[in-house]
Amino acid sequence: MARAPHFSSLSLQTLTLQGPAALTADQHAALLLGGFHPVPAGDALVVEPWVVDQGKQEREERDVTRVDDVEAGSLDRVNLIISDWVGEHAGRLLLGLSFPLVLFIIWQASSLYGWLPDQILPAPSLVWQTLQDRISDGSLWDDTSISLLRVLRGFTIGAAAGLLLGGLMAASRRFHDYLNPLFLAVSQVPTLGWVPLLILVIGIDEGLKNILVALSVFIPVTLGTYQGIRDVPHAYREVGQVLTFGRAQMLRTIILPAAVPAIFTGLREGLSNGWQTLVAVELLASTEGLGFQMAYGRQLFQLELVIAAMLVIGLIGFIFDFLLGRIETHLQRWKVAA
Amino acid sequence: MKRTFFAALISGIFAIGTLGASTAYADPTVIRIGYPGVGVDNQPYGYGDTASLAHVGHYVEDAFKDNPDIKVQWTFFRGAGPELNEALAAHQLDFAAGLGDLPSIVGRARGLKTRFLLPASEHGSLYLAVSPKSNINSIDDLKGRKVAQFRGTNLQIASDAVLEAHHLTEKDVKFVSLTTADGLAALTSGNVDASFGGQEYLDLQKRGIVKIIYASKNDAPIFGTNSAFFVTEEFEQAHPDLTQKVVTAFVKAAAWGSTEANRQAVFEAWAKSGVPVESFADDLQGLSLARENTALVDDFIKARYADKAAKAKQYGLIKKDIDLNSWFAPQYLETALKELKLENFWPTYDANGKKLTDGTVESQKQAAAQ
Repeated sequence: MARAPHFSSLSLQTLTLQGPAALTADQHAALLLGGFHPVPAGDALVVEPWVVDQGKQEREERDVTRVDDVEAGSLDRVNLIISDWVGEHAGRLLLGLSFPLVLFIIWQASSLYGWLPDQILPAPSLVWQTLQDRISDGSLWDDTSISLLRVLRGFTIGAAAGLLLGGLMAASRRFHDYLNPLFLAVSQVPTLGWVPLLILVIGIDEGLKNILVALSVFIPVTLGTYQGIRDVPHAYREVGQVLTFGRAQMLRTIILPAAVPAIFTGLREGLSNGWQTLVAVELLASTEGLGFQMAYGRQLFQLELVIAAMLVIGLIGFIFDFLLGRIETHLQRWKVAA
Repeated sequence: MKRTFFAALISGIFAIGTLGASTAYADPTVIRIGYPGVGVDNQPYGYGDTASLAHVGHYVEDAFKDNPDIKVQWTFFRGAGPELNEALAAHQLDFAAGLGDLPSIVGRARGLKTRFLLPASEHGSLYLAVSPKSNINSIDDLKGRKVAQFRGTNLQIASDAVLEAHHLTEKDVKFVSLTTADGLAALTSGNVDASFGGQEYLDLQKRGIVKIIYASKNDAPIFGTNSAFFVTEEFEQAHPDLTQKVVTAFVKAAAWGSTEANRQAVFEAWAKSGVPVESFADDLQGLSLARENTALVDDFIKARYADKAAKAKQYGLIKKDIDLNSWFAPQYLETALKELKLENFWPTYDANGKKLTDGTVESQKQAAAQ
């Protein structure tokens, strides 16, 4: 690590200033977990435990370096780092775009050479035109906002219930043994398998959509939370016990941070499940929304409407996943290590 | 490695391309007929048109019974016209039997290459059913209510036209798109306030499950639904002789279905779908079979399709105007009528439904009645 001397000298300095005795309980925990390194983040002193995650380390390191260097006023290095960052991200972006690009070229070629009837796969230009028309007359936003609200409502309910149940099952053995068989059985039933039953009980209105989306979010979130908390290394818990943490402190300081990756895996999966379920339910019985637009487009043989809605759904799913990823990174900023 | 991947990709693309081409037949051993609908419990039977009579009576099969190389295959589409259109676009069908007016117009507007052969039902009924306790008493009361409708089928444009006559549009009503069976279930379980549909509702009304508050047959003759027989241009150009044989078979079925002496038998053929005989008897109460099951492309039917195409455009269901004259392929029907000596069998009507000429089928009816 090129900047290690600079960094450790700072650490030393800080340590001398405050001394181990001045450390908070949290910092003690971090110390005992190994790899103790105070890192300057803005004005505050944050102590970070060492967690082995090489890729993340390097990324975070670079961010830290950049802050340092800006303060040092070393413009050349900033430029170098920025171009490095752009290089890395552009590379990944290009890689990520290459496959869709190939698909797009095949799509364009297909419409050019008529591999598929254009009633079934309309030309990209027609889809683009449809998107523009639907944006300008506001109907795209109407449908999108309706579907978005439904997903957010269902996601909030499902994620909250999943976090709670997953947490409880991880916290209490007895609770887990009591509920797990039922939970497993329920999770095996495809969400749409509930539709006929639920239609009889609650009808085809908003309630149906909210419950089905919530259910499809609930299952992966519960599993993620349960596994994430259960799999927190025993050593971490012992640290908390050594430091005589109370339940709340243990949860806040050790368990939740360590369980973040698994919980977020559950949340991300839940969100994508939620979208899929919503579109499927809107296809079945709805008077508005993106899924309804898709069904309508199919019935009136306007497949460009279907593809336009698919693109919007894909884009929103991408944005959601990205945002959740950012939140996860933010919650895991403690994972920085030298 | 990379090269083999691209080679595989490209050969894959070509495989898809040739697959599409190979479904175009050189020598058809199977004549593929699609029907837009299913009976009760998804049974492969239709009802209410001459297409289902041709199916039940094996008219097409019988036309080729001397030629064992030719098989006739019927496919029934639960998703009705919209789904049948997709099969047409994918070159999976040669004939569409009884395709509704709106889906055929939509397909035409989207460039599906079909020819209009002859009508399959002339003014199919449109009913509006509500729950027996409902406070919806007329079309006007539909404003703001949740209504089931099988979208993309000829029921959609027929209900839109009825709404328009009552100064309403689709936007004034909350339409839920449901198939015939799901619409029935949704209405009986109270999930929708009303449902537009066909003869299926007559039996439910009899059993007190629903109340019918609108019937197009009590309205002007321009309301209601139409359906017709179509052939793909591809098949027609490759096999005009086979096309002629199939059309002649369809016309034979229509003639049988237009004869009043067969009234009960016609209803029984339709009842194979699971919809009871009484429903058809009620539906066609006081109406002549020759009027409903005519095979003629007269001014009335031309006007209906012109009207529906204009309305489809007006309601935003299609974007382009369609050319009707180049769609009709009257030569097959004319040849069939000559061959079967049925040139004067059916009465003809003008664009507004006023009778122009009498048909011999009607005098038969009178003879039978006397």
